[in-house]
Amino acid sequence: MPQAFDKCKERPAHIEEILNGLNRYNPETTTTFQEYVNQQCEEKYFDTYASLALLKLYQFNPQLLHPETVTNILVKALTVFPSPAFSLCLALLPPSTIPYQPGNTSVPTTDFTESIQKLTRLNTLLESAQYDAFWSTLESDDLYADLYADVAGFEDLVRIRIAGEVGKTFRQIDLGVLSGWLDLRGDPLIKFAQSACGWRINGQQVEIPANAENEAKSEVKGERVDVEMFGRVFRRAYEAPA
Amino acid sequence: MDDDLQEETLVADYQEQVNYEADGADLDRIDTLGVGAPDLKAQLDAAAQPLEYQASIESKIASYDNYCSLFHYILNSEGPVDVEQPGLGFCWDLIDEFIYQFESFCRYRNRVARTSPTEEEAQVLRENPNVWGCYSVLNVLYSLIQRSQINEQLAAQKRGEDGNAVAGEYGSRPLYRMLGYFSIIGLLRVHCLLGDFSLALKTLDDIEMNKKAMFARVMAAHLNTYYYVGFSYMMLRRYADAVRMFSHILVYVSRTKNFQKGNQQFDAIAKKTEQMYALIAICVSFAPTRLDDTIHTALREKYGEKFARLQRGGPESLPVYKELFQSACPKFINPTPPDFDNPSLNIDPVDHHTDIFMDEVKNTLYNPTVKSYLKLYTTMDLKKLSSFLDVDPEKLRSWLLVNKQRSRQIRWSEGGLLEGETANSSELDYAIEGDLIHISEAKQGRRLVDWYLRNLARAY
Repeated sequence: MPQAFDKCKERPAHIEEILNGLNRYNPETTTTFQEYVNQQCEEKYFDTYASLALLKLYQFNPQLLHPETVTNILVKALTVFPSPAFSLCLALLPPSTIPYQPGNTSVPTTDFTESIQKLTRLNTLLESAQYDAFWSTLESDDLYADLYADVAGFEDLVRIRIAGEVGKTFRQIDLGVLSGWLDLRGDPLIKFAQSACGWRINGQQVEIPANAENEAKSEVKGERVDVEMFGRVFRRAYEAPA
Repeated sequence: MDDDLQEETLVADYQEQVNYEADGADLDRIDTLGVGAPDLKAQLDAAAQPLEYQASIESKIASYDNYCSLFHYILNSEGPVDVEQPGLGFCWDLIDEFIYQFESFCRYRNRVARTSPTEEEAQVLRENPNVWGCYSVLNVLYSLIQRSQINEQLAAQKRGEDGNAVAGEYGSRPLYRMLGYFSIIGLLRVHCLLGDFSLALKTLDDIEMNKKAMFARVMAAHLNTYYYVGFSYMMLRRYADAVRMFSHILVYVSRTKNFQKGNQQFDAIAKKTEQMYALIAICVSFAPTRLDDTIHTALREKYGEKFARLQRGGPESLPVYKELFQSACPKFINPTPPDFDNPSLNIDPVDHHTDIFMDEVKNTLYNPTVKSYLKLYTTMDLKKLSSFLDVDPEKLRSWLLVNKQRSRQIRWSEGGLLEGETANSSELDYAIEGDLIHISEAKQGRRLVDWYLRNLARAY
């Protein structure tokens, strides 16, 4: 069950207090939020709503923008796909970062815009379920490793998300396909599928136990009838003399 | 929710409101002013009036100064200022115009910096970086909310208690209560313009979205509230919730249409309505759903061909998505002064948001294709389907994953607008076993009772 968008069960009380008050606009809270982002990177969770509050502070006070914190937030947003989190973060960034136009030369390229564009590309690959391409892109340039260096367990967090999506759609999947999607081979792959996901390996096939999402049961929905629908008929019976 | 019974109440409600508005207008005219502020009424009136379309930069700046001193007076005088019966519609106009001028000033400033950064105008703008600053605009709105204790009042009403008990010295006066209330709606709009869609929805925590809400008594406020809430839901990819919002207000507009003719806001209402039909077309193409008959008919009249193209998906639909989005989205703004020395950096925020939106469109471009084929089978071989579609099995697997993901949406059931539960929004569902796709369909049974009641009503 997802929690409401503005909640996060790991969120400390002092952050909650800032978010619920006007201090969320106070530039002095920027450092508090930045430290909180570091904490999320280390402790492997992501508080989207609080991260958006920090990006909003940057939007209002561009001189405070801390590029590394922004890229860390975006990397964290990748680890919660599929979700609108990444796009919501982009929406608060300066339009001049042109996240979707890496080749556009009318805007000067900086390290910051290049990082944003690279992470945006990764997001597109994850959101469109091109997992093979995601891993090969990630390995194609050393810059990526620098970008996610601060985010503890980044690769495994993404693998867990991919596995989660696979589990919702598949009952059985070819080991070779899974290997490409998770970028794991041999023993680590078997171990990940068995112990992290609880799946069974059967030769070249991986069996995924039934869950609420991969059943695909047919059903006929009945019409919902409640008393209020008859209100007008009843009223009419009392009103009309004829 | 769209049965005939409701139609009657809607119409009755609307007439009541129109009368209410008329009463308000009369009261405006015969108002007496509080002692010590002989020109307050005139100032308030002026502030609610739209600025001339071709207003000079000087008058834009002067208008900002006027708002500042007016709100300063209202908020920081010794004790609440006295204006009796200011009228609900009037208070809406005041806040609405205030935000509109903020919006158009930011867009104007950005445009000047992008296109003519060397001209005299640009020089004036450079010298006045704090005019229409985002902090001062937010400060006004939040101060009006806090002074009037409006959130506390609304929360009390929600619990079934008397709002007046917590209203305090300021909030018990109609002027403060109404300005505070519409400042909440104003914040919804400002956050949306800044691209902060979750905070926009969060702002409405204490307001219940129903016909009894205060915003529903002013047509423009009613329309705008639903527009911005619906749009925010759309950007949070909660299409079912977005459709629910747009449908609600569009049904209301279409059923009260006859009463709006001759209304001076008629054009503005028509324009917003048009935009919401475009947005509903987008949302329905993302998450097919059964629409109210009135809306479905109007949608086909207005956007027939375009709507069909969205529903077919594929690359041909891309320009249509872009066109509809840009014609129907809010006029996004960049809140800080632009970079006059680097014109090319001042990209129109609307383009920025369009790019972000179009990425999601591209990622889900083949959902309609996948659905249209799967609907025909109960089981299907993945390789066979990929040869039908003329794509690699690899690619088809991605499409199937994407389509499955996007059919799961968070949907509101109770509580704040940001709450909700994940639900399967599609009638079509499937699971893949190796290369075999098992397909299931949740069919809607016949709605006999509904049919019977509708026809019975017609027989009267």
